[in-house]
Amino acid sequence: MTEPRPAGDRAQVVVTGLSAVSAYGRGASALAAGLRAGRPAFAPVTRFDVSARRVGVGALLPGSPVLLDELLSTVDEAAHQAGLSAPVRASTPLLLAVHGEPDGARGLPDRPGRTGAFTLSVAEKAGLSDGARTYTSACVAASTAVADAAATVAAGGAERVMVAAGYLVEPDQFALFDAGRALAADGAVRPFSAGRKGLLLGDGVAAVVVESARAAQARGATPLARLHGWGRAGDGYHVVQPRPDGAGLARAIDAALGRAGLTPEQIGYVNAHGSGSAQSDVAEAAALRRALGEHASAVPISSTKSLHGQALEASPLLELVATVLSLREGFLPVNAGYLAPDPDCPLHVLTATTAARPAYALSLNAAFGGANTALLVGAP
Amino acid sequence: MGLVEVARGAWPEAEGDVQLPVLAGFVMSSFSPLVAEAARRCLGRAHGEPPVAAGRGARTAVIISSATGDAVTAAEVARAVDAGRRLGPLLFFQAVPNAVAGYVAARWELGGPVVSLSPAGGADPVAESLAEGLAMASLLIRDGDADEALIVVAEQALTDGEHDRALAVLVRNSEVN
Repeated sequence: MTEPRPAGDRAQVVVTGLSAVSAYGRGASALAAGLRAGRPAFAPVTRFDVSARRVGVGALLPGSPVLLDELLSTVDEAAHQAGLSAPVRASTPLLLAVHGEPDGARGLPDRPGRTGAFTLSVAEKAGLSDGARTYTSACVAASTAVADAAATVAAGGAERVMVAAGYLVEPDQFALFDAGRALAADGAVRPFSAGRKGLLLGDGVAAVVVESARAAQARGATPLARLHGWGRAGDGYHVVQPRPDGAGLARAIDAALGRAGLTPEQIGYVNAHGSGSAQSDVAEAAALRRALGEHASAVPISSTKSLHGQALEASPLLELVATVLSLREGFLPVNAGYLAPDPDCPLHVLTATTAARPAYALSLNAAFGGANTALLVGAP
Repeated sequence: MGLVEVARGAWPEAEGDVQLPVLAGFVMSSFSPLVAEAARRCLGRAHGEPPVAAGRGARTAVIISSATGDAVTAAEVARAVDAGRRLGPLLFFQAVPNAVAGYVAARWELGGPVVSLSPAGGADPVAESLAEGLAMASLLIRDGDADEALIVVAEQALTDGEHDRALAVLVRNSEVN
């Protein structure tokens, strides 16, 4: 079998540029300030009519932002921070995680192939190469893209890859999540907490430049973080429910630790998938117990979805950016909305913004279809 | 490292392939039934009846590659929202391609990565989507998170005269016996 290999015989992978848009505002500094303040960004939705919905709350930017514009400005900021010249950008492929072409559902039947075409138009307008790929793997789309970018760079298949992702809250997904009774009726996301009611949607657009450490050094670029490990695994269990014993997510974590060559005890923070849903949080706690052993109840953990909401295909990238910013600024984000312990989630949940600068952090995600990912980041 | 094709299955394969088998829990759209039927034909030829033996199933990835995605579900949701109609909960579950990937993975007990891709299509969308899926399979296998990958291409008919098409291909690492 071809088990995940430690990174020792592969190129080191770093992040040299990043940016994000969330309900806290545009740019990485707005996200960092929101995370540090620890006040959830949820408010009544006014972007579209929610009067017929059970729940009318989300974490949205003001007004009606346009996904293409937000993606282009976010990619531009990440590329600028990484110091990518126009010729370097032109040779950089784009991996984009999106739900679909923003207007696609209302343009049928005359626009087949629209989602991939949308990605190509983002790549072209952003001055990136035409070697683009589109991920639509629900709530692990963006983290799968990051893992694939890291794998490609580590194996020498590319010097750098632009990973971008975007979801802006709109009426169709809002209606679907409301119909599926997935939204938290009490207007708060309470991951791992007793009394949690579900998730809430949030705007999220993010971009990171994933690059080999050697290529970054050759350009004189300053790495912001190192991608030590990554892993992806499936539950093989159910159409939409997570596997209760967490075995799939645990294998993704194992793979990330294996590539990083790290032990569970070296992980100093977990930005959990932590959707705030009853079953999903219990399954994630079980996965952490399986993968980290006793350390699962000691490692500080929070889900930044409790602050910025669930940004679907884009959420993992927003959360990775949040994790990197927190590590760099020396704090761990609060797990907002926490009411009381749930005995089925025996974890060290952070109930306040906490000063710390751990060397290594995990960012976890899970999705419909039993898809799981783990990304392991640390200081450069 | 190269890829070896283990088996394939398609929809349609013969003149009798007119009506897709009903897939419990999925409604209104052919997308998920297309994926499930092509996957069933492919995996049945490779493995017989489900599930796949644990040693192989646990390291088999499921990759859905589709230029159209589930265009019919997306359009139905948009129409219902615009008309102020209530949506059924089943539409929530099938609104992402991962759901039917999860169905296939659960039925055949496949525990590798689950990935959904939407390539740009082109003159021959099935061939383009298959190429994208094969590239993804190669990446996952070379990176070590899977030894085999089931790639399922599903392209929905969007205009009169077109037909729904699906193709499932199981591949493995050529360096593994």
